[in-house]
Amino acid sequence: MKWLPSREQRELMEQIKAGRGRLYRVAFAWCHDAALADDLAQEALTRGLSRLEQLRESAKLMSWLFAILNRCWIDHLRARRRDVDDELLSELPSDLPGPDSHAERQETVSRVRRAIEALPLGQRQVVTLVDLEGFSYAEVAEVLEIPIGTVMSRLCRARGSLRGLLMEGATAQPRLRSVK
Amino acid sequence: MSDAKVFSDERLNAFVDNELGAQECDEILTAVATDAELGQRLCELRSAKELVRHAYGRVPQVRRQANRHLSFWSGALAASLTLTLGVLIGWLGHQSATATESHGTAAAWTERLFAAEPARILIHLDSSRSEQMEAALDLAEAYLAKASNARVEVIANNRGLDLLRARTTPYAERIAEIRSHHERVAFIACGQTIARLHGGGEDVALVPEAAVTRTAIEHVAERVQQGWTYLKI
Repeated sequence: MKWLPSREQRELMEQIKAGRGRLYRVAFAWCHDAALADDLAQEALTRGLSRLEQLRESAKLMSWLFAILNRCWIDHLRARRRDVDDELLSELPSDLPGPDSHAERQETVSRVRRAIEALPLGQRQVVTLVDLEGFSYAEVAEVLEIPIGTVMSRLCRARGSLRGLLMEGATAQPRLRSVK
Repeated sequence: MSDAKVFSDERLNAFVDNELGAQECDEILTAVATDAELGQRLCELRSAKELVRHAYGRVPQVRRQANRHLSFWSGALAASLTLTLGVLIGWLGHQSATATESHGTAAAWTERLFAAEPARILIHLDSSRSEQMEAALDLAEAYLAKASNARVEVIANNRGLDLLRARTTPYAERIAEIRSHHERVAFIACGQTIARLHGGGEDVALVPEAAVTRTAIEHVAERVQQGWTYLKI
């Protein structure tokens, strides 16, 4: 009888361990609160693993976990804002705490995070999933359970806002232009 | 005269994100060669994308004093780690085991486990039921007794943490005795469970033999990845 984990087991465990960091980073980009982001990532992982039998393709593990992270995030927002539907939730601006002291020490990082934080939640989710995780539009549509056209329009509005905010900052502080 | 308005912002975003087909990419690249304004728009979009990546390249790590946010999730979800791991292991290939059906038959289990090489076993306890606590310790002792070079870890989380809490464990002496006789055994408490209990104002003093890991799930994942045999009680 073989008791050692198979290569498939070890690879999936490795993916799951690495996935925690990815979930945390995106959750942080959504909420800008380290403790909450950690809870969201842990919760997504826990919920995901408890329903792992529903995952049919191991190649889709991460997009599946991000979809669960999205539902954890919505649950959290719902607990804070009762009687608000999902569509309206996605349009709400943030009232969460601002970037923490780590970011304050890095001017560009801080400015970009503030710009992200100023986006409506739905736009913030789309732009971070595309830019941080490199998900395709189709994958983001699947993760957030929205039409691909909505992904594109939200991304378009998000980048438009970011361009405006960041270029304003660049005018005030030309150093921003030096950041690729 | 600029041709930039020919291309919508959505299309330019799709170009920046590699979502366009070859023909559409060619059209934009051809236009960029003669349209500085279009080039500027693309440059700004790409810069915005890079800035987002840059802003979250390094994110702050959590420094928990108390688990202030856990309250918005139900206790049932927080307590689902056990099920999580059991399902995970089952899904991963049915090669690890749960000892649930083997209470009182630790010897039989150890016979089967000796087939594992190297001799490393992680025993996971998440229940405060005395028979399950006892089964975990029986299994650890049986394994240590039979394989002198074995490494054994008993990891406790959720209600299982009671095994390692000074005020709640009925087995403080037995844990001390096992530890005094075996250098290669470790008793490990889940840091997340401790944080949650602290957040609820509970005293979480541990027995002196206990070490603390960040989260049980991470520890289990790491050990399994290293080739340890995992057993959930």
